[in-house]
Amino acid sequence: MAKSMKLAGLKSVENAHDESVWTATWVPATNSRPPVLLTGSLDETVKLWRPDELELVRTNTGHCLGVVSVAAHPSGVIAASASLDSLVRVFDVDTNATIATLEAPPSEVWQMQFNPKGTTLAVSGGGSASIKLWDTATWRLVSTLSVPRPEGAKPSDKSSNKKFVLSVAWSPDGRRLACGSMDGTISVFDIARAKFLHHLEGHYMPVRSLVFSPEPDGRKLYSASDDGHVHIYDAEGKAIIGAMSGHSGWVLSVDVSPDGEAIATGSSDKTVRLWDFRMRAAIQTMSNHSDQVWAVAFRPSGGGRLASVSDDKSISLYHCS
Amino acid sequence: MACVYIPVQNSEEEVRVALDQLPRDASDILDILKAEQAPLDLWLIIAREYFKQGKVEQFRQILEEGSSPEIDEYYADVRYERIAILNALGAYYSYLGKIETRQREKEEHFILATQYYNKASRIDMHEPSTWVGKGQLLLAKGEVEQAFAAFKIVLEGDRDNVPALLGQACVEFNRGRYSDSLELYKRTLQVYPNCPGAVRLGIGLCRYKLGQFQKARQAFQRVLELDSENVEALVALAIMDLQANDAAGIEKGMDKMRRAFEIYPYCAMALNYLANHFFFTGQHFLVEQLTETALAVTNHGPTKSHSFYNLARSYHSKGDFEKAGYYYMASIKEINKPVEFVFPYYGLGQVKLKSGDFRSALSNFEKVLEVYPDNCETLKALGHIYVQLGQVEKAQEFMRKAAKIDPRDAQAFLDLGELLISSDTGAALDAFKTARNLLEKGSQAVPVEVLNNIGVLHFEREELELALESFNKALGDGVWLALTGNKPKSYVIEASASILDYKDMQVFHRLEEDGIPVELPWNKVTVVFNLARLHEQLHNTGIANILYRLILFKYPDYVDAYLRLAAIAKARNNLQLSIELVNEALKVNDKCPNALSMLGDLELKNDDWVKAKETLRSASDATNGKDSYGILSLGNWNYFAAIRNEKRNPKLEATHLEKAKELYTRVLVQHTDNLYAANGAGVVLAEKGQFDVSKDIFTQVQEGASGSVFVQMPDVWINLAHIFFAQGNFALAVKMYQNCLRKFYYNTDSQILLYLARTHYEAEQWQECKKTLLRAIHLAPSNYTLRFDAGVAMQKFSTSTLQKDKRTADEVRSTVAELENAVRIFSQLSAASNLHLHGFDEKKINTHVEYCKHLLEAAKVHREAAEREEQQNRQKQEAARQLALAEEARRKAEEQRKYLLERRKQEDEQKRLQQAEEHFKREQWKSSNPSRRRDRSEIDDEEGGHSEKKRRKGGKRRRKDKNRSRYERDDEEPDMMDDREEMDDEDANRNYRESTTQMNDQDDDNGENPHDLLAAAGLEDSDLEDDEAAVPSSAAGRRRQAWSESEDDEPSQRRSESSPVREDLAEQQESEGEIREDNHKRNAGDALDDED
Repeated sequence: MAKSMKLAGLKSVENAHDESVWTATWVPATNSRPPVLLTGSLDETVKLWRPDELELVRTNTGHCLGVVSVAAHPSGVIAASASLDSLVRVFDVDTNATIATLEAPPSEVWQMQFNPKGTTLAVSGGGSASIKLWDTATWRLVSTLSVPRPEGAKPSDKSSNKKFVLSVAWSPDGRRLACGSMDGTISVFDIARAKFLHHLEGHYMPVRSLVFSPEPDGRKLYSASDDGHVHIYDAEGKAIIGAMSGHSGWVLSVDVSPDGEAIATGSSDKTVRLWDFRMRAAIQTMSNHSDQVWAVAFRPSGGGRLASVSDDKSISLYHCS
Repeated sequence: MACVYIPVQNSEEEVRVALDQLPRDASDILDILKAEQAPLDLWLIIAREYFKQGKVEQFRQILEEGSSPEIDEYYADVRYERIAILNALGAYYSYLGKIETRQREKEEHFILATQYYNKASRIDMHEPSTWVGKGQLLLAKGEVEQAFAAFKIVLEGDRDNVPALLGQACVEFNRGRYSDSLELYKRTLQVYPNCPGAVRLGIGLCRYKLGQFQKARQAFQRVLELDSENVEALVALAIMDLQANDAAGIEKGMDKMRRAFEIYPYCAMALNYLANHFFFTGQHFLVEQLTETALAVTNHGPTKSHSFYNLARSYHSKGDFEKAGYYYMASIKEINKPVEFVFPYYGLGQVKLKSGDFRSALSNFEKVLEVYPDNCETLKALGHIYVQLGQVEKAQEFMRKAAKIDPRDAQAFLDLGELLISSDTGAALDAFKTARNLLEKGSQAVPVEVLNNIGVLHFEREELELALESFNKALGDGVWLALTGNKPKSYVIEASASILDYKDMQVFHRLEEDGIPVELPWNKVTVVFNLARLHEQLHNTGIANILYRLILFKYPDYVDAYLRLAAIAKARNNLQLSIELVNEALKVNDKCPNALSMLGDLELKNDDWVKAKETLRSASDATNGKDSYGILSLGNWNYFAAIRNEKRNPKLEATHLEKAKELYTRVLVQHTDNLYAANGAGVVLAEKGQFDVSKDIFTQVQEGASGSVFVQMPDVWINLAHIFFAQGNFALAVKMYQNCLRKFYYNTDSQILLYLARTHYEAEQWQECKKTLLRAIHLAPSNYTLRFDAGVAMQKFSTSTLQKDKRTADEVRSTVAELENAVRIFSQLSAASNLHLHGFDEKKINTHVEYCKHLLEAAKVHREAAEREEQQNRQKQEAARQLALAEEARRKAEEQRKYLLERRKQEDEQKRLQQAEEHFKREQWKSSNPSRRRDRSEIDDEEGGHSEKKRRKGGKRRRKDKNRSRYERDDEEPDMMDDREEMDDEDANRNYRESTTQMNDQDDDNGENPHDLLAAAGLEDSDLEDDEAAVPSSAAGRRRQAWSESEDDEPSQRRSESSPVREDLAEQQESEGEIREDNHKRNAGDALDDED
């Protein structure tokens, strides 16, 4: 396909939060409302924004020590937010009623994602070197997928620390789960058998964000790492397909457009970049943020919207054509 | 057949002597002449005949007999013939003297000649022919003025005396008065129209000198008409033809020269010109032959000089510099002043330059410059020499002048650019660009080196886009286009997939299979390397990677490419691959200092201390200790060694520090402007507590490090911040840390955030401290120390709030919230310790948990109390407000009453009353304002005193060493000791240890009166307040010192991280070195081509 994507700034909200904005996700539309943007911040709040004007719908409080992750259920009805104090709050998007509070001490909570069917919430468990799977009907912990320690290593060996799990991503068919660690390894699990499959190698620095390409390219996995690169893997075949460089800082976040054509990244170098997978090259760089860009998110329902949030406390919305 | 008849004495007979059959032995004739007492004119005729036949000896014999005293006596009255004989001898010796090259013989001949002429003069001092002879002699001796006088005497007697006229013309010619000379020649011609062609030659030469070339040419042609074999005229015409300087003229000129040569093969002038011609046609054998002949036949200095020059030049162009130098020197010897013939000086200068004798090269070129002050080539040559002599400024002066004189001389600008590269990149860039534009305008190919240099200079000035443009232009078309992403995409993609495997050369094979030749000309390797470096800088790591691999594919010995690949791998934390690559480089050259240095650094990163030291040492040895980087690395190693062990051995520490200092100093002695060494020295000084000195150093280093893309020194910012911190200047420390984070790390360095948090902690800015720690946790999630510290910060915040005399209910409420968080954090850490996620002791953490819980209980009580108080206050306030309202109402009513009352009073009285009231109010303002101001100044004083105190505390940290070690020993944990993690973890341990010591204090206190535990925690009792008040002085000190502990580590760690930057620089310099070398070679080539 010869057409190339282009980003155009639509709206920016300065001081959207009182502190650094660390996480963002789109909540899909329901019958009663369009999709909304969910953001979480060091200021311990979670906020809902209505596009395209980024009008503040509501501010959720109750978290302590900064919100590190938000996740939206595919139905768009419920969402989850997690903070540095390792608590996950599941709430009704429209009423803000708390549905459940999840914790699995001593496991911390980093990135979270609902599976495509919405039956399971996967939570990356930090130092426990595992992914916790929660059933969304009962809100009970159903499974713990552990990243295997390197062979021969003693449990007391500190290198286990490096398997610290930061990021998590479901494959579009829900059969695979990938997680990224502090030491750069990516682990792939078979969900049906709750079994570790293999590692994907190539990064040696923290992998903070992972995303699968939508069908029909559902095997393709994009990873963002502190080494400044985005790698593209065949998650099934264990092979690296390509690497894209260009950011001068850590790549903190990566997302794929709903049609799978474009990849967006956010980096500590303050930029948002749009990439063309075919060219393995950046096609556009947005520099409207003045500090680390912690998250980028394409709106799932189409319409070509991309949101980015940053340490500079602002939120930006782009039109993507 | 000409005959002379010698009359036989006393008879009518005559002896017939056939002139062409003169006897070989002159004595036979002499006998006859003497015997018959023959008239003297016959003697002269016979002698002349001998001379004509080349029998000089016989000629001399007869004349000498003919001028002997006996003859004088016998022929005393025959005056004219005697004079003629003497004059003939005089002329003969004059001629001998003139052609003699040896100075002594020359003199002797001249003396003899003088004697004969003087003798002739004694016979008749008015004889004109004697005077003409004398004049000629004087001319031969070069005494032009006296010759002038001699000829003048003759001409005064007979103004038409032809020989005298000619002589005088010659005098005037030699005097440079060509028009006077011309007049004399003309007169000669008038007086003696049938004179030989030679006279017209004189006219031609005069005209030539006067610049009347057309008339000169006519004169020479007239000579040739009269005497078609007149070599001088031919040569003169040939020279004039040659000077026309076009192909036709040269052809005609050479034709005449050749004719002259055929007529008379010994005309030096013609020989020289022929040699000159054959020099340009490259027939060096002919050049040598001709010149040697020329040298053999002439004694004329300038002509010989020219011959030697031709010879020298011939050898020069053949590369025989020794012979060339010799002949240039010979040529110079024949010249009196450089003005006469300056070329051999230039040649000699070049030869000397070639042999490295810059001083004599300099003096030769300077002589050329005296004659031609605006000669570009000479100016450039001098510029080069001054570069070699290290006088860059002078060199620049000459180059600038050369470039100014000929602003279209691209080479001059290139040279100027070369010169300026090291001193003034901006000016160098301008010069190179001018050169490039000139070359482009002249539609000449711009050399790859020039475009490369322009690219590098742009690179250095951070004009990366322009650099890219220039490199691409330098490279032109080639395989790299297919690899850098503007051509068929599949290769780029393939390349990007294999970036993890540097050995994978499949891409290149694929390219070759697809018919794209994978060629990398040698002169473009450097450019490709630089282009790769640029892509690295632009963070196009993939492209940089593939370009380095391209270099290695064609040139597997290109060490720098391995090292850059290693550096890329290292930047991505792929230490294993990096080490592997460095080892590849070492396979090529196992003594490569850059590779060894890098390996050492990698080993250090791997915590392989002993190995690292060995490697660094061999790196230093590989350069005979001349490479500052090697010494610096060893210095750093010693510094790390000094501070790495937790159980500090004071002796060992001191030794290592001293060694580090020594090494840094050694580098500084060699290179006073080495920022890294200065930074290191500053760190050591700070380590010893000399903060003021080290602050000065760091400030200077910071200034020095700004302004170059290749020098990135965040360390010095951190070090400065540490100093500010240690001196208690927290505000500045915070600012410095923040600037450093923003400027160098995109705010992502959790370690610096930790320093920042520590500073906030010391400044008792709890909320900032907590926020900073939370950011750090977010950046470095697996660093549990940060969590612990956050817990401690919250605990401390709560404690300090609860200790306040007055606190609002809101404050207490937030305290409760913070305590809850702290409890949660500590509990989680406690739970996590089961999983061995971190190295903290569970018991210690539990103590924190307990303490915080107790504090929480107490705080809740406080909260209730505060809330109660708040409630009461609110009620009180409400009551007071009611009261006030009632009062207000009453007052208003009263006022109303008064008002009505007053209205009744008289107008003037009311006025007076008002005035008095206003006056009173003004007084009141005056008295209240000053007091308020005083209050404020008191506060200021207090604050000042406070910070003063802090500073003093900071300064004392060294003294508290002993205190600390006691605690450390108590706290050591075995598993922590063999922990070979990164420095962060050590810091962590230290931080942690610090905090636990603080905790221990509290534990101890609590332990002493266990029954008070609850009460103490509850803070209701004053006990804990007292304890707390007692503890801080020591605990704070220890804490500070422990914090500073970690501070001490940081610089070192930072420093180790800084080394890649230095490597980059070194490598950059390396590649530049290459560039310069290339150019140098080219310049050497040019020097040869530079001929007049």
